Amino acid sequence: MLSRRSLIIHLSTTALVGAVAVRAQPAAATDKTAKIGINLPFTGADAHDAELIKDGAMLAIDEANAQGGVAGYKIEVLQLDDGTATAGQYDPAQAATNARKMVSDKEVVAAIGPQMSGSGKAMSPILSQGDLATITPSSTNPDITDPKFAGQYRPKGKAIYFRTVTTDAFQGPNMANFYADTLKVNSVYVLDDSGAYGVGISDTFQAQAEKRGIKVLGRDQLNPREADYTTTLTKIKSLNPDALYYGGVAQAGVKVVKQSYDIIPKVLKGGGDGCYGAEILRGASFPAAEGWYATIAAPNVLENPEAAPTIERFVKKYGLQPENYSITAYDAALVILDAIKRVATSGKEVTRGAVRDAIQTAHVKTLQGEVTFDDNGDVQNRVISVFRIVKDDKYPLDDVLHQYKYIGVAPQSS
Amino acid sequence: MSDYGVLLQQVVNGLSLGAMYALLALGFTLVYGILELINFAHFNVFMVSSFVGMWALEFLGISGQSHVLTGLALAGTLAFAFAVTMIAAGVLGVAIERLSLRPLRGVRGTAAMITTIGVSYILFNVILLTVGAGSENYPNPLPVVRWQLGEVTLELKELLIWGVAVALMVALHFFVSRTRLGKAMRATAQDAEAARMMGVDVDRVIVTAFFLGSALAGAAALIFGLYYNYTSFIIGYTAGLRAFTAAVLGGIGSIPGAMVGGLLIGLIETLGGQLIAVRWTDVIIFSILVLVLVFVPTGLLGRSAPTKS
Repeated sequence: MLSRRSLIIHLSTTALVGAVAVRAQPAAATDKTAKIGINLPFTGADAHDAELIKDGAMLAIDEANAQGGVAGYKIEVLQLDDGTATAGQYDPAQAATNARKMVSDKEVVAAIGPQMSGSGKAMSPILSQGDLATITPSSTNPDITDPKFAGQYRPKGKAIYFRTVTTDAFQGPNMANFYADTLKVNSVYVLDDSGAYGVGISDTFQAQAEKRGIKVLGRDQLNPREADYTTTLTKIKSLNPDALYYGGVAQAGVKVVKQSYDIIPKVLKGGGDGCYGAEILRGASFPAAEGWYATIAAPNVLENPEAAPTIERFVKKYGLQPENYSITAYDAALVILDAIKRVATSGKEVTRGAVRDAIQTAHVKTLQGEVTFDDNGDVQNRVISVFRIVKDDKYPLDDVLHQYKYIGVAPQSS
Repeated sequence: MSDYGVLLQQVVNGLSLGAMYALLALGFTLVYGILELINFAHFNVFMVSSFVGMWALEFLGISGQSHVLTGLALAGTLAFAFAVTMIAAGVLGVAIERLSLRPLRGVRGTAAMITTIGVSYILFNVILLTVGAGSENYPNPLPVVRWQLGEVTLELKELLIWGVAVALMVALHFFVSRTRLGKAMRATAQDAEAARMMGVDVDRVIVTAFFLGSALAGAAALIFGLYYNYTSFIIGYTAGLRAFTAAVLGGIGSIPGAMVGGLLIGLIETLGGQLIAVRWTDVIIFSILVLVLVFVPTGLLGRSAPTKS
């Protein structure tokens, strides 16, 4: 039974809520919102690069909102962190939780992320069940979109994991071609960091290297939480390879760069997009990082003159230089905004399913050229760019744009 | 490199790792010897001290690996960095004891041990949230000097590690065996009750054990930073677990045991990695630990506690 006092409170709150509801109704009709989820590892070893990726996406979203939104929709963002302190980097378990959070928030119509393939593998099945499309600006493990594994990563059938970068099905092998053709490497030792991305890219690199006649002298797996890699590197030294290939992200990468400079200074060294970024420059720094090769799974948009105005706005807004994956994130946001717009202007309701279908049929002009996807969600434009770390004293030592020198496009196998 | 040369090089690597583990293991053993408490906060006292050492070096204007010092300047810088790091680590250890463990003295069961796990997590997260999660480029004023002895490369920094580790262990041995306070520590370790009755200030002994153990962790942390030119908020876990294993392997509570255990774990890690594969390191280390504990439950140099009823 309610006492008199609580009855009064009860009645008055009901009245208040009623009044607010009545007042809110007409406003909602003109000011509709759609939410985009963003999931990146803001905690841990890749936090800095995650921040730059988020900034790229937010630039596109904020600019759209500043122009009055997209076809009457104001775009809101649900930002989630899949990095945890215990993992010290991205954490697939947290990524799965975040995917559930996005799916359960009815207003979320599409998502951007994750940064890392290990998270992508955990999120993809959940997003598929929830019919929620995500566009990753950087995760490159090919399994997630491979139709062979469709039952595992998209149990509901339709592609929901789109990318504005290509995959390690190209990143690893094309770098192996670059090792063989341009660097004339005869023997190589391959290391990975035991993560989904690291193992995957190292496998594809190794397979193509063998195909191209490069002798693979060995393969070992590093524990990213371990500090000491001198044992492995001493072993590599004794085998005397021409080159080292490291597939993995920055947490182990920083230590590989540092300790290999000490133990195998003369061996040629390179890696995938895990070796491209501010974390490597900051943690390993010079002289250790000098001369490392790295790839990205996208065209080198940063030096494209058409991207210059966007980069200028980025620098002005955030006071930092963007990375290439800031731009692919910007592109990912453009694709989603375009999809929402096409759904809204066609008169349909802006739902997840409708937005997903619109993303699937996207023909969006972005900074990396026109983005279109195949039936699995992979971008049609498959370019792997090669960079080399060459110290440039004129710029801050962690300035990715100026400390990584663009070498060219890695040769595609025919 | 011949197979023999590689193995010899791995022994050199293993001794450097082992020296660090030994210094860290001493902290576990000192506290356990007196309180029969496994102090898990030690993991992250080590981690925090590596940052203190970094700040001390940066305070002297050293950043990255480009400021190379020699002679007296180098000796002075290192002496300053070691002094600051070890004192800061020692004070941190004492503070942990005073604030979180002394109130639990006399409480039966695992409360104190669980508390040390909690303190460990607090330190871990404080560094994560204040310093951030990136890998730090550790300042290092040591010149890169290498000697080629046959097929083995020896570096100046390795000699430094061994020198510092041996000096500290000798000093500790002298302290425990020759000084009054050291005698009081040994007496307390054997039987705290009886020691108290004989007029030993047990609280002071406990504070000393925490101070010394943590200061040694501080030295290990600075060595770690200088050796790898790297630190991060996660370094405490792996190094701490290995060092703890070393302490148990050598016989927890035994000071020579911690030294021997540390060196053994270091050697097992590098030689195991060389002969089998690095990804099997943990399996190898912990299998050996289990075997030792099954056949020699007190550890290699440990004694069964005769006075405990």
